[in-house]
Amino acid sequence: MVTHIAETDLALYVSGDLRLLRRAAVGFHAGRCERCRRRMEAYRADRDQTRKLAGEMPEGLDWQRLAAEMSANIHVGLAAGECVARRPERRILRVSWRPAAIAAGMVAVMTFAWWLNMPAGTSGQLGRAMSAIWHGRANFAAVASRDASWDAKRNGPASFASFGPVVVATPLGIELRENDNVIGGSEDSAPVAVSASMQGSASARYVNADTGQMTITSVYVQ
Amino acid sequence: MFSRSLIAAAALVLMFAPAAAPQSPQKLIPRIELPADAPVEMLSADWGDSSATPRGGAFIVDVRAALSFRNAGQRRIRGVTLAVLSQEVTPGGKGSVSVPSLDVAPGETFPVNINLHLLRPIGAPGGPSVEVRLDGVLFDDLNFYGPDQLHSRRMMTVWELEARRDRQYFKKLLEQAGGKGLQEAVIESLARQAPADAPPGMQILRGRATNADPESEVSYAFLHFPGAPVDASNGMVRIAGNEAQAPRVEVINRSPRPIRYLEIGWIVKDKEGREFMGPSMPADVSLAPGRSGHVGQDASMSFNKRISIQGMTGFISSVGFTDGTYWIPDRNELNDPKLRHVVGPSPEEQRLAQLYLKRGLNGLIEELKKF
Repeated sequence: MVTHIAETDLALYVSGDLRLLRRAAVGFHAGRCERCRRRMEAYRADRDQTRKLAGEMPEGLDWQRLAAEMSANIHVGLAAGECVARRPERRILRVSWRPAAIAAGMVAVMTFAWWLNMPAGTSGQLGRAMSAIWHGRANFAAVASRDASWDAKRNGPASFASFGPVVVATPLGIELRENDNVIGGSEDSAPVAVSASMQGSASARYVNADTGQMTITSVYVQ
Repeated sequence: MFSRSLIAAAALVLMFAPAAAPQSPQKLIPRIELPADAPVEMLSADWGDSSATPRGGAFIVDVRAALSFRNAGQRRIRGVTLAVLSQEVTPGGKGSVSVPSLDVAPGETFPVNINLHLLRPIGAPGGPSVEVRLDGVLFDDLNFYGPDQLHSRRMMTVWELEARRDRQYFKKLLEQAGGKGLQEAVIESLARQAPADAPPGMQILRGRATNADPESEVSYAFLHFPGAPVDASNGMVRIAGNEAQAPRVEVINRSPRPIRYLEIGWIVKDKEGREFMGPSMPADVSLAPGRSGHVGQDASMSFNKRISIQGMTGFISSVGFTDGTYWIPDRNELNDPKLRHVVGPSPEEQRLAQLYLKRGLNGLIEELKKF
């Protein structure tokens, strides 16, 4: 039983759309098969006829009128589209209150944590540094000195400006301070005397009321 | 939707709140180190409510301890100094407790109370701990035992010499003027210690201070004690408002013995004419007999802002010789009108005065008879 080439492959062969290997197989078969060769020539003849008919314009074609009709149809289509189509929405960036609320909550928690955990002197130093930046001052020490002077006026004679580790001896006791934070000292009852050494130490003398024993407590810068 | 967001925000706050809240005080881990050959041994240690509280990046270490020691040596103990360390390198970690004017016979016990407030980094190994070390023990023959890392030897020796001087003064007064004379002297001493005459607070900063006031270099005078082995002269200091910086002075050894240490005291005068005691300036020196040298300190002293320093007067308050002996001014020298109302009494004179307040004249006389 002779197997012939499918009609679709014959049509594609004629139009030149078959893949290379299939094209070779179809051409080889058509060279030996009379029936398929005739079907192939029939497709070729139809193709030529169709191309010839498509190339001829209708009789009495008025190009001006055709152009006007086409323009009118386009305008009608656009007008109809305006009537039925939804307008595209303008994209508006919406700011939700929720992220802002969460951020505000976080700031509140962090501020609370700072207030609870950070020594007052550190907050004061930070404030002075921010003040110096805000006022564009390069000399932070000048701002600190000015603020410390205000502190002295507010807090009385025991107030000092301290910008590094310093020892402080007052009639109330001894302290080691750094950046206005108390980082060491003696918290016993009022001493009978205090003294300080230029080598960086302060001492306080206490007398035990019961035993009369003298105890001298000292703190050191380093 | 609103309620859901509210719940989410509340959950967020609850999640972070424990981290934000200040942490409660933690138990302090104390450690006491006494050398095996130490002349004292510890009998008991009560650390009371000592604690370490996290604050920022550090522990605030409150050391409140009542220690009891026994004299394990063969000599009487006159003074003890303990170093209290929460850290050794950074500021805020070192303190000390000294007990002068002791008279502890071999086998007897004595208490030492520590009440200090120190700082320790949270990340430091060992957790919230504090270490107590023996820095020195002074005996009745003025010999010393201990590592002396805090210069406790010279401090305790000077205190002991001052104690002997002042006890001798009061004993002599008792012999010559009787109980009434002694009583008057003690009352006069108490008046010098009264709060009305208390010196204003002062602050010591190592290195240069940051005072914005214009500074001027001024010379300061010295009080000369007839018996002092050292003469001081050409004192210079930079004064700026309430601060005095980088004092220096020329010293000459007038004694026949070489000197290894001296301490200078200052009387500071403000522009309103008030005088008060300033900080001391200890200095290690090497002065052969007849030789001179310079003593200075790269530090600044400052007083509260209401005080404007006008001038200073220096005096030699103690001298240490290379043979281990010390010189201190005698009572007559301290009776100088300029010094008398400014220089405070010695620790022993203060102890005796407080004893008079507590036990009366008879108690004071009994105490003087012990030595």
